[in-house]
Amino acid sequence: MKIKKHLQKSLSMQFFGLMLRVVLFIIIGALVIIFSYRQLNEYHSNQNELLEQKEAIIKQIDNRFNQAFFDFRGYFAFNNESLKEDAFKQEEKIRKLLDEFKRVENNTEDHIFYENVESYLNTYYRDLIPEAITFFEQRDRDNFEALANDGGTKAVNAFKNDVQAYRNKIDDKIEANYELLVQRNSYILIFVGLYLIGIMFILFQLTRTMFKNVGKPLSDFAEVANEVASGKDADVAIITNREDELGKLSVAFKKMLTSLQEKEQDLLGQNEELIAQQDELEAQRFELEQALSNLKRSENNLRDRNEFVKGISNSLDKKNVLDEIVVNMCKITQADQGIICFLDDQSYAAYGISQTGKQQFLNNLDNGLNDKLIKYKESFTVKRELIDMEKGFHEAKSYGYDLYLPILDIENEVIAVLVLSRFGSAFPEDQMDEYNGFAKQISISLENIQMYEQSEEDRNRNQDILNTVLEGIQLVDVDGNAVQVNHMLCQIFGCTEASNRIVGMSLDNWSKEMAQFIEDEDDFLAFFKRVIHSADSEATHTYTLSNKNKIYKVYANSLYHDNEKIGTVFVHRDITKETEVDQMKSEFVSTVSHELRTPLASIYGYTELMLNRELKPEKQKKYLTTIYQETKRLTNLINDFLDVQRMESGRQTYEQKYIDLLDIVKDVVKTQKLATSIHEFQIDVETQDTTVLGDKDKLKQIFTNLINNAIKYSPDGGNISIRLYREDDHMKTSVTDEGLGIPEDALDKLFSKFYRVDNSDRRTIGGTGLGLSIVKEIALAHNGDVQVASEYGQGSSFTVTLPVVETIVNSESLSPQSDSKHAYNVYIIEDDQHLTGLLEQELRENNFYVQSFTKAAIALKQIKSVVPHAIVLDLNLEAGEMDGWEFMRELKRLDVPYSNIPIIISSALEEQDKGFQLGVTNYFVKPYRSSDLSRTLLQTLLEKEKRGQILIPDTKKDS
Amino acid sequence: MKKILLAEDEEVLRMLIVDTLEDEGYQIDEATDGKEALEKIDVTDYDLLILDYMMPQVTGIEVIEKVRKNPNKKDVKILMLSAKNQQSDQTTILSVGADHFMSKPFSPMALLDKVEEIIHEN
Repeated sequence: MKIKKHLQKSLSMQFFGLMLRVVLFIIIGALVIIFSYRQLNEYHSNQNELLEQKEAIIKQIDNRFNQAFFDFRGYFAFNNESLKEDAFKQEEKIRKLLDEFKRVENNTEDHIFYENVESYLNTYYRDLIPEAITFFEQRDRDNFEALANDGGTKAVNAFKNDVQAYRNKIDDKIEANYELLVQRNSYILIFVGLYLIGIMFILFQLTRTMFKNVGKPLSDFAEVANEVASGKDADVAIITNREDELGKLSVAFKKMLTSLQEKEQDLLGQNEELIAQQDELEAQRFELEQALSNLKRSENNLRDRNEFVKGISNSLDKKNVLDEIVVNMCKITQADQGIICFLDDQSYAAYGISQTGKQQFLNNLDNGLNDKLIKYKESFTVKRELIDMEKGFHEAKSYGYDLYLPILDIENEVIAVLVLSRFGSAFPEDQMDEYNGFAKQISISLENIQMYEQSEEDRNRNQDILNTVLEGIQLVDVDGNAVQVNHMLCQIFGCTEASNRIVGMSLDNWSKEMAQFIEDEDDFLAFFKRVIHSADSEATHTYTLSNKNKIYKVYANSLYHDNEKIGTVFVHRDITKETEVDQMKSEFVSTVSHELRTPLASIYGYTELMLNRELKPEKQKKYLTTIYQETKRLTNLINDFLDVQRMESGRQTYEQKYIDLLDIVKDVVKTQKLATSIHEFQIDVETQDTTVLGDKDKLKQIFTNLINNAIKYSPDGGNISIRLYREDDHMKTSVTDEGLGIPEDALDKLFSKFYRVDNSDRRTIGGTGLGLSIVKEIALAHNGDVQVASEYGQGSSFTVTLPVVETIVNSESLSPQSDSKHAYNVYIIEDDQHLTGLLEQELRENNFYVQSFTKAAIALKQIKSVVPHAIVLDLNLEAGEMDGWEFMRELKRLDVPYSNIPIIISSALEEQDKGFQLGVTNYFVKPYRSSDLSRTLLQTLLEKEKRGQILIPDTKKDS
Repeated sequence: MKKILLAEDEEVLRMLIVDTLEDEGYQIDEATDGKEALEKIDVTDYDLLILDYMMPQVTGIEVIEKVRKNPNKKDVKILMLSAKNQQSDQTTILSVGADHFMSKPFSPMALLDKVEEIIHEN
């Protein structure tokens, strides 16, 4: 009872119970069928087996009997004893089979058959056969035959018939048995059919019950739920009589339904409230939309303004900006035409205006309405009738509106005018403020452009200045980024467009970029890293450019703004020259010291020997000669050193005099001849005029060196020929010897300082290695040059080239001539009366007109009335008065022709350099020969006249 | 009699040294450059070599290097004369194997003292 109750509480349990019952029913039914089927088959097969067994036994009995029968017959026929024995053996076997049969017999019929056979057997073997055998042995043929015919055969046949009948019966029984089996099997089949129908019925019932108990209530619920969902009123009956889930569900469903209905009521109430609120919201939305459209309008305005501002601030190019202004303003004001024009340079931009229209506007820029605008500085509009061209296809009268807007600068002056035109509709009054706002905006951006142009100009100028500097300059900010570089820096680091390449690069990048040109990269990089990040304001670093083999020094200087480091300036200076000079200097010192030591050693040594030893007079003489020669050698060396030193430092001054080169050569040969007995000298002159302009002593030095070399380097003697000739504009002098010659590889270096061709035959020939470099220096200083041609072992030829001098008067005409046309006026400013007398006499003899002054100041005054052709000036004049230097400065301060007057200094002071710097023409150091002065004066003035610089002589004074 | 080889390209100096030493009883062979010096060293055993630093073709330094490499001559005493007077030059001279060094200009008497000192070391 308890289980049943439990089962009723759960649908699944109910279902489980039902299924259990159904399965039980099916299993029992199946078992019954199988069992009865097996029983039936077993029974029938047993029956059949039994029958077949009986039949087999009968068959054997029959066979044995037949065997016995035939054996007896054989015996009777052939009197064969063994056959008789066989026949009797059969009896025993038959009896055994009969016993077997007796065991299986099971009905009366069988039993009767058994008894019949037994009786027949008894009869046959106990009566019939013994009787027959007796007859047979007694040869009682008649009885035997009678017996055979009478009973014997008859009995056998009866037996055979019996057996046959029985066997038939058994066959019938088997048949009947089979039929019975078939019949019973068909019963079983019918039963199976009924069984299946039963099962189906049960299943049907089951389904029906399930539907009724589960499906129906559920579909009821679904229907109700649907109705509720579709908003209809619906109710559900509570299934009170059930305790399972459905029962509970119905209760819960009911509850839910009730609460749903209550909620719905509430919701309906709320809904009404909501509808009221919605109406209110609708009203608000309308207001919002109104506000939104207002917003949109101002947003459009803002966007226009924004685009406008963007347009004009996008570019700093004036033309672009003007274009942007006019196009955007037309868009914003919905104008059809517009123009903006600067008042100062008339640069303008127009929109929708024809070329003639623009020109017309520009022509009247400060007239009419523009004038009004410029004067009052306030915007205004003008209404006018449209002309045909503007009206398009409209025939009716229509109007155009022009808006004039002034563009003001910060000083409130009109710098540009902006005119916009609208066809058909006026510019709305309420937008005027906005238009003025735009005008203000335009002012600001135009102001910006002007400022930008100004700063760009400044920047370019600064860059140009930087670019003219011959040192590489590089500005780097505090983080190490390259801010600015100049041209030179780019050139140093092998880049033409580098100002764009290096500028903007970070420290790592530019320093690496630059370091690839440097030999010691690591130090270079480390220097920049250290300097840029250090607070030190100054540092330097020296590096070598690997490709150009130049040495640079970079100076770093911190850049400060308001006491704060804002960057570093690097100046890269080419110090190759300085370094080379330094190196040369130390080499020079080292070589000089070496060169000086050798003659010194001789002088020192021989002197010491003479002092310390008793020497024979010949030896003493020999030693003294040596000392003398070595001293001379030392003196020459020192002179050469000093010459070179002076020439190199540029302190060497050269006189500019007309000199006959032939005289110099002859002079030198004369001197040099004394030093040799094995050389022949020959001078060939192939030109009429051997005059050159130059310094006599220096030119003499050239030829002394060359001829001396020719002697020295032809130790075996030979001809030394000197040839003077002209070639084009050059005066050439060659010195040729037949000596050792110069190896080809030495020719290049021959004129460099201290260079000496190094081989044994030369080594014994003394020399400083300076001679030829001095020759070269002097020749160059005379605007000339020196060349060498040589074949090793054959001799050498040195050719000095000097510029040709065109003289109007040849050297002879330089001598005093009383009938000379040239009467030059010369001032002598000199406080030494004695000297003045001497000079006056000399100059007058040479046909100069002379005026002498003891005070420079008086001469300076006088100069303006009588302009002299030349001035001979003493430097040291009376104390307290104007001296020569002052006079010269004053004179040079005057205009042409005064400042151009040639000045010849006549002084005891050796201040040639200072004098030439101030522009003196010639410099005579007292004492000098007065003839030199007159000659130089004449040469100078002739030269000047030739160049057309001479002043026309004052004829009045000339007389 | 002690034999000395003098290699010096400046004739006047050669004469000076020869005069200085010959009077004191030394036998002097002269060479005008390094090449000649080497040739003479090859055939004669000298007690002392006096070499100039700067000589054409084969310098004094090269002569020292060659001599020091020659097993028969490597122990010969060498005095070098030089107009090069820098510290570095002296270091070079002594490092290649010269025993003594005198700079030009020198005192002939001091040279004589030096030569005697060297010769008597043996």
